[in-house]
Amino acid sequence: MSTFHGLEMAKRALFTQQSAIHTTGHNISNANTKGYSRQRVNFETTTPYPVPGRNQPQIPGQIGTGVQAGSVERIRTQYLDEQYRSENSKSSYWHTTSDALERMESLMNEPSKNGLAHTMNQFWDALQVLANNPENEGARSVVARRGEAVADTFNYISNTLRSIRSDIDYQIDVTVQNANSLIDRIHKINEQIQEIEPHGYLANDLYDERDRLIDELSSIVNIEVSYRKSASSSKDIADGIVTIELVDDHGSPFEPTVKLVDGTAGAMTVEHLTYSKGEPSTVSVGDIQLPYSENNGSLNALVHAYGFEENGELKGLYPGMLAEMDKLANVFITEFNAIHRNGFDITGNPGQAFFTGTNAGDIAVRDAILTNPDLIAAASEANLVGDGSNASNLSDLLDQPINSALGQSTSINGFYRALIGQMGVKAEKANAMSANTDISKTQIENQRLSVSSVSLDEEIANLIKFQHAYNAAARNMTVVDELIDRIINGMGIVGR
Amino acid sequence: MRVTQNMLSNQMLRNLSSNYGKLDQYLEQLHTGKKVRRPSDNPVVAMKGMGYRAEVSKIEQFKNNASEADNWFENTDEALDKMTKALHRIYDLAVQGSTGSYNEEDRINMMSEVKQLKEHVIDIANTSVGGKYIFNGRQTDQPPVNKDGSFNNLYNNDSVMIEVAPGTKLAVNAIPNRVFNADNNDLFSTIDRFITALENSDQAQINESIGDIQTHTDQVVNARADIGARMNRLELIIDRLDHQEVVAKKMMSDNEDVDYEEVITDLITQESILRASLAAGSRTIQPTLLDFLR
Repeated sequence: MSTFHGLEMAKRALFTQQSAIHTTGHNISNANTKGYSRQRVNFETTTPYPVPGRNQPQIPGQIGTGVQAGSVERIRTQYLDEQYRSENSKSSYWHTTSDALERMESLMNEPSKNGLAHTMNQFWDALQVLANNPENEGARSVVARRGEAVADTFNYISNTLRSIRSDIDYQIDVTVQNANSLIDRIHKINEQIQEIEPHGYLANDLYDERDRLIDELSSIVNIEVSYRKSASSSKDIADGIVTIELVDDHGSPFEPTVKLVDGTAGAMTVEHLTYSKGEPSTVSVGDIQLPYSENNGSLNALVHAYGFEENGELKGLYPGMLAEMDKLANVFITEFNAIHRNGFDITGNPGQAFFTGTNAGDIAVRDAILTNPDLIAAASEANLVGDGSNASNLSDLLDQPINSALGQSTSINGFYRALIGQMGVKAEKANAMSANTDISKTQIENQRLSVSSVSLDEEIANLIKFQHAYNAAARNMTVVDELIDRIINGMGIVGR
Repeated sequence: MRVTQNMLSNQMLRNLSSNYGKLDQYLEQLHTGKKVRRPSDNPVVAMKGMGYRAEVSKIEQFKNNASEADNWFENTDEALDKMTKALHRIYDLAVQGSTGSYNEEDRINMMSEVKQLKEHVIDIANTSVGGKYIFNGRQTDQPPVNKDGSFNNLYNNDSVMIEVAPGTKLAVNAIPNRVFNADNNDLFSTIDRFITALENSDQAQINESIGDIQTHTDQVVNARADIGARMNRLELIIDRLDHQEVVAKKMMSDNEDVDYEEVITDLITQESILRASLAAGSRTIQPTLLDFLR
């Protein structure tokens, strides 16, 4: 037992308490840093004296030698991260889908006085007025103009659907770039950690940053994260190197596996997502072509909204709506023109096409009819100016169940109503799912915060605790100092 | 569970935002008076709403059609009434002319009156309302009778149909043949024969004309009765349309209009919840341990 033992022990205590005070300061500083997990210094006692051995001094027992900072660890629970990421994937899928459908809904604008349904009703009214007043020039012009309004509404819906769809295409491109940048950054951090951990350190702040990036990546695609020990010299509580794999809806990896970030020893590579522009644009990674999931990741949601090819057919929310609108417009044009051709215009000539075009994008009232509404075939018999029965037939078409590409006994207006209903149901589901997944995500987020987030009260309490210990250690050192002072200056002067 | 300041403030922000969201929903309902903003709010209500809208708009148009039909009936009835009066006068003249107490000169005078009456009847036959000749079937752009009393080449006997209810088409004109023709005699040549008889003071022929004119008068009266019957039917249909309109509008309103009492109550409740959460939030996020350490 050396005399200086007490000094050394007090010094260790001072240093260790000080490191705890610094760590507390770090926690307080980062109380509002996104993704930060609180850190703590793991205190451990130093090896007591004496250690057993042949030459051990014969003293009554082992005497403690003080404290040391064993490690600085972040407080975090990995399985909560896993749960969070899985919910995050779902939540962002439904959130993105619900956004896409909301844009579609506000475009269709039903039920309202501006949607296609209202324009159709007005067209029907105009045809009825024409049926009653076929010789009236005004009634004819109104039919031509209202017909134009119907065509314009179809065009507007079709064009806007297309432009929203190309917006989504752009969004896909940006999201892929974002994902690739996340992958690169995670890979960089992996490399940094690989250099730090073998020295016995814990790269706490890098772990936090890496976890935050992985969280972000999990909102884009659903992933599974696994860890590998960086080296045999690394601490057991070190997080290690991550490998990020793409997984399917059930959380199982694909065959062959797609490793976005490969952290296996000796590999340390990345796999980027590829976006290729085209009609339609596609996203793929490894052998996987997106979308591969119906409820995971914003990228899958975007591709679902934008459309993708399956068995040579274009599917997806927007292509689906466009196709239905085109089908509706096509049947409307064909059937309306067929009836129109059965009639006769005001000069007794048989009617020609009323609408031109074949789909929602190019439907238009024939120019000749717009410039000369007398060409509208309101009569069923030639040269009967007062005959409006064909106009009446034309008006009947809108609500008459017919067998066509729209289905058996389906009317034009009925088909459109059903279309809006289906869209409403889809959007309702997406909204509900978005709200539900948000709730479970929030709940897990809360659990995670409960474990990892900084509590200022706690830090302040700790600060006071460490400060007291520091002060006491300093006092301890003063006591030892006085002891030594006594030996050096007070001893050997007996009788002086 | 460990709870930190960050969790509290996150939670408070989330709750406030959801409170504002609900407040916004109620406010929008009050502003628009509608339960649904977009189909996803309630797909069933939205779809039904579209159906009711179409129905209301149709019933409104059918009511317009019905008043159009009513116009036809009124005008036809009016014209037939005048025609009956003219024919009554001709009949009176024929009865007078057939008696021996009038001499040839009197009959020539009668003849000039009958000629005027004939032109009057032709004018009535050529009645045009809003540019439509109402006694020429579906050839409404042509007068049925020429100035001299012969029929136009484009004389037409079709019914003019107007749809007054879904699938119900009503004939709104008087069929010209049923007005002008009886027993293969047309009205105008009957009058012409009567004129000739008066000119020739041919009493036997005048006597014969009495019967013919009577037949034609009956014909016109029958046509008028027929119009009257159809007017009655139209009135029933209009009644039904009015009723349907009320019902359809009520259904539409029940389906998609908000119940103001309910929404205002909800709004006030929501407002107090928001105030409470603001008050609670301001109390929980402010203090820290530091406030209590000296």
